[in-house]
Amino acid sequence: MRARRLAGIAVALALFVPHLAVAQESYPSRPITLVAPFPPGGVADLTARPVAAAMERVLKNPVGVVNKTGAAGAVGMQFVAASKPDGYTLLLALSSISIIPEADKIFDRQPAFTVDQFAPIALISADPTILVVRAESPWKTARDFIDDAKKRSGQISYSSSGIYGTLHMAMELLSHAAGIKLRHVPHAGAGPALTAILGGHVDALASGPAVVLPHIKAGKLRALAGWGDKRVAALPDVPTFKELGYPDAEFYIWAGLFAPRGTPEPVLARLREATRAAVAEPDFKSAMDKLETPIVFKQGDEFQRFFDADARRLAAGVRKVGRIEDKK
Amino acid sequence: MLETLANLGLGFSVALSPPILFYAFVGCVVGTLVGVLPGVGPLAGISLLLPATFGLDATRAIVMLAGIYYGAMYGGSTTSILMRIPGEAASVMTCIDGYAMARKGRGGAALAIAAVGSYIAGTVSVVGLMFLAPPLAAFALRFGPPEYLALLLLGLFVLAYMSSGSMLKSLAMASFGLLLGMVGIDQMSGYFRFAYGVVELGDGLGVVPVAVGLFGVAEILATAGQATPPQVVKPRLRELLPSRQEWRESAAPIGRGTVLGFLIGILPGSAHIISSFVSYAVEKRMSKHPEQFGQGAVAGVAGPESANNSATSGAMVPMLALGVPSGPIPAVMLAAMMVHGVSPGPLLIQQQPELFWGFIASMYVGNVVLLILNLPLVGLFVNILRVPYPYLYPAILVFSILGVYAVNGSVVDVWIMLIMGVLGWVLRKLSFETAPVVLGVVLAPMIELSLRQSLAMSDGHYAIFLQRPIAAVLLGVGLLLVLLNLYSFVRRGLDWRARLALAEKGEET
Repeated sequence: MRARRLAGIAVALALFVPHLAVAQESYPSRPITLVAPFPPGGVADLTARPVAAAMERVLKNPVGVVNKTGAAGAVGMQFVAASKPDGYTLLLALSSISIIPEADKIFDRQPAFTVDQFAPIALISADPTILVVRAESPWKTARDFIDDAKKRSGQISYSSSGIYGTLHMAMELLSHAAGIKLRHVPHAGAGPALTAILGGHVDALASGPAVVLPHIKAGKLRALAGWGDKRVAALPDVPTFKELGYPDAEFYIWAGLFAPRGTPEPVLARLREATRAAVAEPDFKSAMDKLETPIVFKQGDEFQRFFDADARRLAAGVRKVGRIEDKK
Repeated sequence: MLETLANLGLGFSVALSPPILFYAFVGCVVGTLVGVLPGVGPLAGISLLLPATFGLDATRAIVMLAGIYYGAMYGGSTTSILMRIPGEAASVMTCIDGYAMARKGRGGAALAIAAVGSYIAGTVSVVGLMFLAPPLAAFALRFGPPEYLALLLLGLFVLAYMSSGSMLKSLAMASFGLLLGMVGIDQMSGYFRFAYGVVELGDGLGVVPVAVGLFGVAEILATAGQATPPQVVKPRLRELLPSRQEWRESAAPIGRGTVLGFLIGILPGSAHIISSFVSYAVEKRMSKHPEQFGQGAVAGVAGPESANNSATSGAMVPMLALGVPSGPIPAVMLAAMMVHGVSPGPLLIQQQPELFWGFIASMYVGNVVLLILNLPLVGLFVNILRVPYPYLYPAILVFSILGVYAVNGSVVDVWIMLIMGVLGWVLRKLSFETAPVVLGVVLAPMIELSLRQSLAMSDGHYAIFLQRPIAAVLLGVGLLLVLLNLYSFVRRGLDWRARLALAEKGEET
């Protein structure tokens, strides 16, 4: 009994003492938590897992993914914004990080968090959304679609992942750029939104390419145009809205790594360097290949510029949508 | 037909290979545990284990995750029957009659019937999945918001059959539940309703914390409040197995539950939960002794438990045949396939026959494994009832808190559960039934969303519900049910009041 207790104390000391010593020395010295603010199986989660695994190998330190979900990502983002800026709690955020505080503003409510509570580390991926319609629909090109929408204002419907969600914002940016009005039918997530167009309950959908590619290949859906500044590799014949003369219809479902604002510069530098090495790993590349998500790596000023431009576009989009009940 | 059998042969050659068999077994065991643990349901279980499958190949991963899903439906009945705590949301209905049976010393029989019913439902519905997947999946897609709303309104009639006491009280409770279901982000405008600055309330009040609180915690409080602790029901071994009559009474409900569960399971959304509610209502309606419901009716366990199991196979139909994520759980399973480079879609069955048929065959095998696993466990679990209440109840409370916390890692959920527990205790003291509250919380967000989506689709014209044939037929059936009830209501107006008074008197003793 006594021997066991002594052994217990010894183990406790062994665990504790080196920890104290290392804490002074270098970052990282204990496990890092990477918060994915969406449930397992979503884009954020599926990107966070390989990122965490690759960073773990680079930093030679455990990096664990925690799904902190709720309120369209606001719960997890608020959690990271409020956590200690020591580099041990990081966030893998999607485009919605710029949308949520804007939507809060519109409703005059205390924002759950603000964008400037985060220090950007790196952009990991950016997938332009594409516009799809059912294969039997009359629109063969994006031009047909826009012309018809002008003729029948508010008659053509589309589904989205939810109000102010990414798929909604993509369509709003297009409507704004092309001067058209579409009928919005929000759904509770990207899955139900896809089901709605396949079932013929709505006419159109803006979606990440990976999710709709199998249905395009099977001849159920037709892609009309993309929101990217380049064409989607898997769909070389599908033009971008930019090519069609709507440069403001630019939208990406992107995933980026953030730390809480106030994280010391040396720690941020170490994280940037680690992320750069991590995304170059073959294992990481093959994981992203399987998800058919292109790696787009940007950091430092480059990421900040991308982030700012994106946030500006989205803020304008959210403001244009405004408060729904005020419109009626 | 012949081709299907040949394919199934291929499937079994995959499913019976040692590694696949192993992962199916692991999935079933984890699923049973996830089901038994109060609050933690299949979605939480699958989500937690998803990362662990990243290292496996696609077939193994999907077989294991499916095992968790239907395994949880087996395990979910355990705590519902023994402790009145729903192991997961689809077992809420089992709490009512299952627990009443346990109180009468028939806990073992209830568990055995739940296990056998689950086995029959699981196996028969896989046959349905195998032969009917492509045509049924196409039909399921035609269920848009208007059709869904019509179905849910039909579901509201369930309310009328849920109470054994006063209709007025149960409607009051249902309305209260519907109001609770209004908490959270308005899906159509993004407005936070009744959240009072608590971001976590944006997702509304979860079914799990509400159900565990209203049923389980309230039960514990009520028992603790009694002057003398209730007698411990010591189960005797020969009472573990259902009697001949109990088998006879459960045969038809199991059959009906299987068909109902499969058909409802195909529809988008969290259909396995709704299927158990609907099955309960149908059984009560069909029963020759509806007054036994709530007092330990065998059919009230056999029907819903079969339905929720068969709904899991139904949910796989659109997922496998079309690559459509028809609910949260199939969505996670689709993600698991994508991680392995299998793109789910309408071409999956042709492109990945080993995966599809191996998966189907593994569900046959998995159901056998679960039956073998669960029947002997009945003897073990029933012994929990031997533990004296002063030891048992604190332990259950701890597990309930752990389970509810584990689902989202949210302390807010624990508070919801505890507040609901106190509320449930008060309501019991006033002899209100709490099951309609849970049904209201389940249905309110779905009814609201599908109504407003329908109106968004039609630009505000209510005619959309009559222009679409499926919706119109369902609404017609609903109207017919209302008229039928009104007719009998008017016809025996007076003696209804007399019987209500009697019934209330009966409740208070």
